[in-house]
Amino acid sequence: MSKEIVAPMPGKIIEILVNKGDELEEYQTVVILEAMKMENQISCEHAGRVKEIKVNIGDAVSTRQVLVVLE
Amino acid sequence: MTQSDDPYGLQQLAALTTKAAAMGGPGKIDKQHAKGRMTVRERIEHLLDPGSFDEQGLLVHSDIPEAKEKTPADGKVCGYGAINRRTVFVSGDDVTVMAGAGGRKGVEKLMHHMTLAGKRGYPCIHLGDGGGARLPDIMGSVGMMSMTYPIKGPCRDREFPFITAIMGECYGGPTWEAAVSDIIIQVKGAIMAVAGPSILEVATNEHSTKEELGGWELHARDTGQVDLFAEDDADCLGLIQRVLEYFPNHAGEMPPVSPCSDPSDKRLDKIFNVVPSNPRRGYDMHQVIRMISDPDSLLELKPFFDPSLITCLARLDGHVVGFLANNPMMTAGAMGPGACEKATGFICLCDSFHIPLIFLHDTPGFLVGKAAEERKMPLKIMTFIEALHKSTVPRISVIIRKSYGMAHCNMSGGNMLSDTMLAWPTADISFMDPDVAVNVAFGRRLEGMDDGTGEMRRAMREELSRGCGPWEAAGANLIDKIIHPADTRKEIIQALGRARGASGEQGRSRRLLAGWPRMF
Repeated sequence: MSKEIVAPMPGKIIEILVNKGDELEEYQTVVILEAMKMENQISCEHAGRVKEIKVNIGDAVSTRQVLVVLE
Repeated sequence: MTQSDDPYGLQQLAALTTKAAAMGGPGKIDKQHAKGRMTVRERIEHLLDPGSFDEQGLLVHSDIPEAKEKTPADGKVCGYGAINRRTVFVSGDDVTVMAGAGGRKGVEKLMHHMTLAGKRGYPCIHLGDGGGARLPDIMGSVGMMSMTYPIKGPCRDREFPFITAIMGECYGGPTWEAAVSDIIIQVKGAIMAVAGPSILEVATNEHSTKEELGGWELHARDTGQVDLFAEDDADCLGLIQRVLEYFPNHAGEMPPVSPCSDPSDKRLDKIFNVVPSNPRRGYDMHQVIRMISDPDSLLELKPFFDPSLITCLARLDGHVVGFLANNPMMTAGAMGPGACEKATGFICLCDSFHIPLIFLHDTPGFLVGKAAEERKMPLKIMTFIEALHKSTVPRISVIIRKSYGMAHCNMSGGNMLSDTMLAWPTADISFMDPDVAVNVAFGRRLEGMDDGTGEMRRAMREELSRGCGPWEAAGANLIDKIIHPADTRKEIIQALGRARGASGEQGRSRRLLAGWPRMF
């Protein structure tokens, strides 16, 4: 069952806090998305292992764009 | 006149019943299915507990002689049934009969039965699918003046929950019903508007599409007239069943209680994962609400409409509550006119059905500027305040982080007579952001005196930042308790239990908002 963590709104990725293979706990922050002068932490809703990181620092992302995929 | 071979008229009854139940015939039914939609009878079947539908007025037909044979049930199906063993009244437009438009008799039937159902205290559900009134029925003075659709009958005053689903192209008719309902659900692809493209092209030469006039995205983001959105008919009917679980059968009852597996004093160990200590960092307030509430109990209304504020139903220790919570992830939690509108409507809804209100603060204040002022911001803010003042359900207020300006008051803040006023140690409460305040209070003075190092400005900012923590307010008896964030669920449940009393009766609302409009 693949779980995708998506961007809730448009913004810029300014930090990536996890690596491929990391075991995440519930609500762990995965990236920081800068939007509207706020740094927003994007977290996973459930525990899981990181399968793929689909963005790089500096990327501009749009609403619902996939950021991180969990196994 | 009974025939000798049908002395009791049973064959006559069977024949008429079959004909009426066949709706607009196989051709029209196939057309509906081809759109990926159910017929009205299939929808009712799907919605209700199996075999529970007791139809009323099956044999009604148009009062226009030429249309008598072409209008089974006069295009509206209605009756009583059960949803999870709770008796409800359900009605629906039959789009296979004259495109679901309302004839005089069909509308009369619906209004008559719904009024009765409401009086006896049953939730009412309408499945909208079709244009408003039938032409030629409503044309001319007799037509127009005799078809007050659907305004006949007493004002509802939120005496019973009224849920309307928009499941097809709805112009007038079902749209009017939706506009006075407590909860509106729209299936994506269905339309809710006053007038459709074909009318516009002739009336005003405007060329707008159906979606532009009443599509789900318009309502989700711009009008806020719809509470919930469904992927298809089955999803929509499932949502209706789900919504009902949060409401009593009528306003004389308290909302239904559900058993809860999570303990009421559960510690929220992961709360610091969700809420950062860095005040410049935003987070998703939905996650906080989810953590505080009973598992899988969140039902957010108007999720896409001014998302700076979250208005959602949930359960706490089995009891239904309504959350109003700022979302720092959206416009930094600054509330605009849309947030005020949806908050006001939500307060009226919850207060009318004895649902306590929980406020979670994290807002830098109201959105200011021309766009907000053009949308009548002062009115929106004060109508929200009036609603708060008239609410008599328990109100628990929790300051998570920022709570600035008038928005602090609107979130049931200090001196707003909340039952219990709680705060996290991270609470940051003031009138204005110190940087902005420096400009307002000392701007002119600084112009002359600034030596270019910014030292003066910093010192003045320091001055205005003092005392924004919750400690001083707690000392002055303005905050009842400063709590450990991990205890938030426990503290709210305790406060609610106290406000509600052992039997729940002390939490009963006086329903002073029941007569307020549905939307603002």
